[in-house]
Amino acid sequence: MKKEILITAYKCKKCGKIHYPFHDRCLNCKGREFEQIKPKGNAKLLTYTAIFNLPWGFDQRFLIIGVAEFENNIKAMGQIKADSVDQLKVGMKVKPSWEPIRVQYGQDVYGLKFEPMK
Amino acid sequence: MRDVAVIGAEMIPFGRRDEDSLMDMLAFAGLKALDDAGLGDKSVDAVYVGNMGGGIIQHQTAIASSLVDRLSLLPAAAETVENGPASGGSAVKNGLLAVASGYYDLVLVVGGEKMREVTGWRATDFVATMTHPQVEYPYGITLPGMAGMFTRLYMEKYGVTREQLVTVSIKNQEMGALNPYAHVEMTLSREGIFDSPHSIVNNPVMADPLHLYDACPVSDGAAAIVICSLDMVKSVRKTADPTKPPILIAGFGQATDTQTLQERDDPTDLKAVTLAAQKAFEMAKLKPSDIQVAELHDAFTILEIAESEHVGFFKKGEGGKAAAAGKTRLGGQIPINVSGGLKARGHPVGATGVAQVVDIVFQLRHQLPRNRQVQKAENGLTVNFGGFGNNVLAFVLRRVQS
Repeated sequence: MKKEILITAYKCKKCGKIHYPFHDRCLNCKGREFEQIKPKGNAKLLTYTAIFNLPWGFDQRFLIIGVAEFENNIKAMGQIKADSVDQLKVGMKVKPSWEPIRVQYGQDVYGLKFEPMK
Repeated sequence: MRDVAVIGAEMIPFGRRDEDSLMDMLAFAGLKALDDAGLGDKSVDAVYVGNMGGGIIQHQTAIASSLVDRLSLLPAAAETVENGPASGGSAVKNGLLAVASGYYDLVLVVGGEKMREVTGWRATDFVATMTHPQVEYPYGITLPGMAGMFTRLYMEKYGVTREQLVTVSIKNQEMGALNPYAHVEMTLSREGIFDSPHSIVNNPVMADPLHLYDACPVSDGAAAIVICSLDMVKSVRKTADPTKPPILIAGFGQATDTQTLQERDDPTDLKAVTLAAQKAFEMAKLKPSDIQVAELHDAFTILEIAESEHVGFFKKGEGGKAAAAGKTRLGGQIPINVSGGLKARGHPVGATGVAQVVDIVFQLRHQLPRNRQVQKAENGLTVNFGGFGNNVLAFVLRRVQS
């Protein structure tokens, strides 16, 4: 079953700047009121890497991570569903999903994943 | 504000120091610096200790209180300063401000870290705790991973090549091999790590497009300086060693930036580096072309190139070419990381900002052997880079004319 992407970004009510993660004051105009917005549509891959020296808690050979920008300009980090960076290109379209990204204390932790689109 | 001088500077060899505890290393480096300053049994007013991971790795807190006790510096004031990989620089800054303000006259600054006590997995995780706790850390991002994503953007925007990055690795390990304090004392060849069929075995991908030899090692180590008001140097030092003139901390600057790379308008623009360096130059009344030697925070080869541009040694996009052309080597236009840098001297995180100052002090005292000494160096620059460029400190040091 496809899960809803549980990310909330914050759009400054004064100047419109989009923040993710949350800041107590707008990075642009210091405004303190924000409209909560949800990511929309697919995303564009801005940059990525394949990490081979993983931190404690990841029992796998490597992990591909990137930053992508949603259609409504929210930018977020996520794990990338690909076998190799050879399948990736800066600027390509990726499909977001909300899936387990790691296991902590025996429980799945959910987060963003991006899958390259043909 | 008073002028502040470094009168003692020392460090212990970086590397894997299984036999020494964190406290041992801090004490060894601290005592060496006190002796280098020629203080005899004279005490100091305050001690600042730069350390990032004692609370996590050694499960030890209040490290500075422990150090003054060990060094018999009681009742000197003492604080531990934690500011990620810029902890060392922040400790130096705290000492500088305390003496400049006139509140303290004589201060010991020590930076140290013991990282090899835990596995690489744990050490990588420990360093990653400086990333954003909700939107970065849970994904498994590491500092090498951040550097990999940054490198990809830098390559796309400025055309930096792997070949240019490799020249930085080779240069810094060549210099590290000459430095008795360096962690990595092994030279590299271009064939070995870049353009032979074996190179991918020797130098595998670490965080694409960065390879193993683009990164600094995980190190244990400590470094220390003694600082005092410039006008008190003569009265403080019991023995004045003419080969060790006081070195002025002529300029200091610090700046911060967003915690996540994605919230920067241009993630290739390391604004905090530019601002920190500008402030340091302004205070010292110097410009980048007045600097003869620099220690830049090359936790990854790309950072040496990017910082060399952001501090103003080269135009944006020219740093990679300058490195490949030998302009940053000893004898070149601006020798960078003659100590071997983080890449070869090593990067015990809390020690680094202090060690950079120590290395520049060595250079400005003209006390190094010919194969490592920048001839007639008068002014030096250090850049200590915390987070992924979200907290940066720069110091300009100057040899005092006698």
